[in-house]
Amino acid sequence: MRQLRMLALGALLAALFGACGTGGGGRTPGTSPGTPATGAPSASGAGATPGETQATQPAETGPAATGPGADVPPVRIGSAGFYESALMAEIYAQALEANGYQVERQLQIGPRDQTMPAIQAGEFDLMPEYIGSSLEFLNEGAGEASADSEATAERLGEVLAESEISVLGFTPAQDTNAFVVREETANEMQLEQMSDLAAVQTRLTWGLPPECETNPLCGGALSEEYGIDFDSIEIVELGACGAEIATALDEEAVDIGELCSTQPDIAQFGFVVLDDDKGTQPAENIAPIVRNDYLEQVDREAFAAILDEVSAAMTTEDLTALNVRVGVDQEDFDVVASDWLTENGFVVEGE
Amino acid sequence: MGFLNDVVAWFLDPEQWSGNDGIPARVAEHLQISASAILVAAAIALPVGLFIGHFRRGTALAVGLANAGRAIPSYALLAILFAPSIVLTRGTAIDFRFLPTFLAMTALAIPPILTNAYVGVREVDTETVEAARGMGMRGREVLRHVELPLALPVILAGLRTASVQVVATAALGAVIGGGGLGRYIVQGIARHDDIRLFAGAAMVALIALVAELAFALLQRAAVSPGLRAGARAVPRRRTLSDGPQLDPADAR
Repeated sequence: MRQLRMLALGALLAALFGACGTGGGGRTPGTSPGTPATGAPSASGAGATPGETQATQPAETGPAATGPGADVPPVRIGSAGFYESALMAEIYAQALEANGYQVERQLQIGPRDQTMPAIQAGEFDLMPEYIGSSLEFLNEGAGEASADSEATAERLGEVLAESEISVLGFTPAQDTNAFVVREETANEMQLEQMSDLAAVQTRLTWGLPPECETNPLCGGALSEEYGIDFDSIEIVELGACGAEIATALDEEAVDIGELCSTQPDIAQFGFVVLDDDKGTQPAENIAPIVRNDYLEQVDREAFAAILDEVSAAMTTEDLTALNVRVGVDQEDFDVVASDWLTENGFVVEGE
Repeated sequence: MGFLNDVVAWFLDPEQWSGNDGIPARVAEHLQISASAILVAAAIALPVGLFIGHFRRGTALAVGLANAGRAIPSYALLAILFAPSIVLTRGTAIDFRFLPTFLAMTALAIPPILTNAYVGVREVDTETVEAARGMGMRGREVLRHVELPLALPVILAGLRTASVQVVATAALGAVIGGGGLGRYIVQGIARHDDIRLFAGAAMVALIALVAELAFALLQRAAVSPGLRAGARAVPRRRTLSDGPQLDPADAR
């Protein structure tokens, strides 16, 4: 009995120490002693790096082995508490490291009501964000996010500017709400887009989240834009984007379910995502948001260029496939991130 | 107190009382799930418990089963049973969301009923049982006419505990899309609607209390008068010096 107790205590301590190992390292002050903090960013946005004064912008900004990031303080990268966010953060982190930047990671912090105030307060410098949800979080649900990615990103930029944060280029990939059916159902009822549903709505069992009725993006969109009559369809209430709804859909307990568009289950079970042809869901492209006081210490254009290139290469299919590796196959973030960066030519293998 | 006003208003809204999501429908579902689980659990646990208590065999097994049943979290059971249940109920009239909840609630109800049944029977005074045997009663008769009536309070207490637990926990079924009063709680959380959440939780608590009281009444009615707590072992004899008295039977 005594040995059992010691063993249990040992296991508990091991678990605790293990948990402490991951997560944020020590925080360094925003500026390192050698770098003068520029009071006002110059017109080109380039900060001064020690030992080099550049009167003009360099003609081109490309990946440099010594890197513009070599002499600047480490960029502290945070992420939200779920694996997709951590994965994107890791991808950005490795891309920057490949270009000579030092990175400190604070991954898997928590939900947006923790991460957003944290970046606004300067606890870290950069994190990946979903432009639609982010905007609606900041404007307290004012409904400014739309299906137009450009407009949404621009508006997000305006709102974040008030917190001295910039939004860089966004990905083609979107992780938004998706209404999804099995492949057989899509073939049988010829379903390609959401508008095709009205004609067959009573032949389907709908797996909708409990808040659908009162959520304009769910109930509102379905009833007003796509002609779904909530009183005549059969509904099974299961939370969106969860494992239960994916299982229920695969096992034919429901015929249509609300998932997230990059959910690994979609690739795993071969579901068909119905196109939101009326544009009811807000754009949820992913973009890194970065504190201006960090950008002022680096060559802003070079820094942004690195990340913009990476973002531009991330498609919804890519992200879904990566999610399968991380979420289902339980592979490590750093391996999955590094593989993707190598495949897409951002990192030379062996570097 | 604005919040409570809102809750009252919610209850008074006629819309809450009609349709598939209305209060009567959900209460009925909740009672249906709870009752079926308790009945099946009793059907399993009572005979086993009585057997173990009477024959004084298999106590270790009973204790083991009871503890195992208590140790398994209902929520985990629901998650595990979710996918298999869809497969099992395919083509049947059983709702795939009903089955996991039903099984989890039955598993929850068995331990208290089982434990109380065998403890109740086992704790019957051995001298009484001896006396009954001495009078010529056979085993089965002893169980039926002596042990069972004497153990009834404890057995009913077990049913009471099981019922209250099941009624309270049946709300969990809503997490996997099931019906019952838990739906209000799940919807309240999902919609950030505190009023709905509170109303649902309050109704669950209320029904659990009603179950408790119902069983309390049942216990009073079903237990032999001579065994009720507070009853004297030997009734006090009236004497003239006590003055006008009520019948002791009325003095309870």
